[in-house]
Amino acid sequence: MLRRLSLIRRLTLFFTLVAASVVLGLGGLFMTAADRHFIELDRSVLQDKRHLIDDILASANSAEDLRWRLSEALNHHHGLFARVTTPTGQALFQTEGFPEPDRWLLPEHETLLHTLTREQHGQQQYRTQQFRAQAQYAPESPLVITLAMDTIHHRHFLDDLLRTFAVYALAAILASGLLGWAAVYYGLAPLRAIKAHAAAVTAQRLQACMPVQAVPAEMADLAQTLNQMLERLQDDFRRLSEFASDLAHELRTPISNMLTQTQVTLATPRENAAYRDILASNAEELQRLARMVADMLFLAKTERGVDLPHKERFMAADEARALLDFYEAVADDKDIRLTVQGNGSIEGDRLMFRRALSNLLSNALRHAPAGGHVRIMVAERPAGTEVSVDNDGEDIDPQVLPRLFDRFYRADPARAHPTSDGAGLGLAITKAIVEAHGGLISVTSAQGVTCFSMVFPHSDE
Amino acid sequence: MKILIVEDEPKTGEYLRQGLNEAGFVADLAATGSDGLHLALHGEYDLVILDVMLPELDGWQVLASLRRRGLEMPVLFLTARDQVEDRVKGLELGADDYLVKPFSFAELLARVRTILRRGRGGGLDSNVLRVADLELDLLRRRVTRGGKRIDLTAKEFGLLELLMRRQGEVLPRSLIASQVWDMNFDSDTNVIEVAMRRLRLKVDDGQPVKLIQTVRGMGYVLEVPQEP
Repeated sequence: MLRRLSLIRRLTLFFTLVAASVVLGLGGLFMTAADRHFIELDRSVLQDKRHLIDDILASANSAEDLRWRLSEALNHHHGLFARVTTPTGQALFQTEGFPEPDRWLLPEHETLLHTLTREQHGQQQYRTQQFRAQAQYAPESPLVITLAMDTIHHRHFLDDLLRTFAVYALAAILASGLLGWAAVYYGLAPLRAIKAHAAAVTAQRLQACMPVQAVPAEMADLAQTLNQMLERLQDDFRRLSEFASDLAHELRTPISNMLTQTQVTLATPRENAAYRDILASNAEELQRLARMVADMLFLAKTERGVDLPHKERFMAADEARALLDFYEAVADDKDIRLTVQGNGSIEGDRLMFRRALSNLLSNALRHAPAGGHVRIMVAERPAGTEVSVDNDGEDIDPQVLPRLFDRFYRADPARAHPTSDGAGLGLAITKAIVEAHGGLISVTSAQGVTCFSMVFPHSDE
Repeated sequence: MKILIVEDEPKTGEYLRQGLNEAGFVADLAATGSDGLHLALHGEYDLVILDVMLPELDGWQVLASLRRRGLEMPVLFLTARDQVEDRVKGLELGADDYLVKPFSFAELLARVRTILRRGRGGGLDSNVLRVADLELDLLRRRVTRGGKRIDLTAKEFGLLELLMRRQGEVLPRSLIASQVWDMNFDSDTNVIEVAMRRLRLKVDDGQPVKLIQTVRGMGYVLEVPQEP
């Protein structure tokens, strides 16, 4: 249930509970102390009277004398009652208005203090003491003396006190609840500030905007983390928009080519062969577009980091040789020597690995000069299995190297639409595949050799 | 051969029907899942081409209904999403093949022919394939043209075998890459062009009749060219 309450309500509730337990605890302690104090007071009053009666017993010389002296000494004390009885139970003396309980508890002890409530007289309350003592004139028969003290005014006092206290306690608890609410509400102001900032975040306004300086230390961390999250989101969002605009840009040229071509063809009647030619050209263009769309989708899916569909362990060199078979004709054609060296196992998706390596090979074959060399090397390294492809060729400008993996990036802008080239997505796809395997890809280019290297980490087991 | 196309996109459906008709099939078109199911149940089709996203009944449901009623004709399904789950689901439900949109018509035609051939069984295989004066001996792995021996690499032999087995059919590059080299993804199509050129050089160079032809925008075909 607590989970549903807002933070403010929850803290206010806790605050109120704490205040209530403190106030009520103190009150209870105080009431108990007052009660105990009254008992002590009563005991000492009764003790005084007992001494007085003891003295009278010691000095009275007859029952008559005793009675007279007791009445002198005790009759005018408001709220104090005494009775003296013989062992046979006959009352020798009794003050006026002596409460007649149904039965006095007859104590075995010399002194006893206890409280009785007499129901038949309303809420009368007495504290009594009963003891035995010998009269000087008749030592052989001890008398039973009962003292009673009306304590109703104590009760009234305590009741008053309780009432006053209850009112005070209620007020105090309410006040502290209110104060607690106020404290929490204002204490949480930074949280609301963060919320307000967060509410202002939109796709267009993703800049980091949490007020790290303006919030208390405990929340600065949170604000910092949120800012980092926003930065990452902004980065992703920027990439996404670039992706969309790249895509639109890449689609625009072929579509406008086809449109122009088709409309020009339709403008005047032509030979059948001309129509056939234009349709074939359109089909080629459309195939390229379809492939680009498929590549983009593959890239988006792989970059999104879905689980590898078919994970298995395979030998990298076997896959490389299968690709060699495929590229053999092209290499032969350009008189390029294509070799595979070393071996190592990779845990991952075989088809995706083939695709990654195929892109690197196709790239290397395209850039290696006739009579050159393209080499696949597989090696087990501490960080994982490294598969590298190097080719002879002109050095690539170091500034351009990191951009090679960007979508649609082409080192040579003049070759923006070559037939053999893909859409400029090959290396981006390779990178995405390597990263989906948790690996790293890098490229170096120096002294006439360009080398792409993929490192696939060893599996955890 | 009767083929049923169940496709709700009218343009795609119409062109598929026209294309298949012109390729020598009898093709019918249904635009919704329930129409498709009705036709399939009563029409004695040899193959159903089924789009996954359909109004009323979707492709999965149509496929499941067909199989439940004991109809075992091959089904090729078309999907717009290249999701592994989709593929697995389709194949589990008993589909024979799938194509991801956008696909090329040549690819579809090649797949359709593969499936229908599979249904007939490869019984009429002989050990020697023959087109005009070109002969390919599968057992001895020998190729001759006009009685003259042609030396081919293993992959060139495989490529020629594919073309001859499916003579007269236009084979798209992606199908060739997948059948000959087991490259089941969009690989560098340039490779196929180079391999084709080299094969052509060995088979057709210096011959009066060129058997291997490029069909622009579609792929390659091996056949005796008709007189224009």
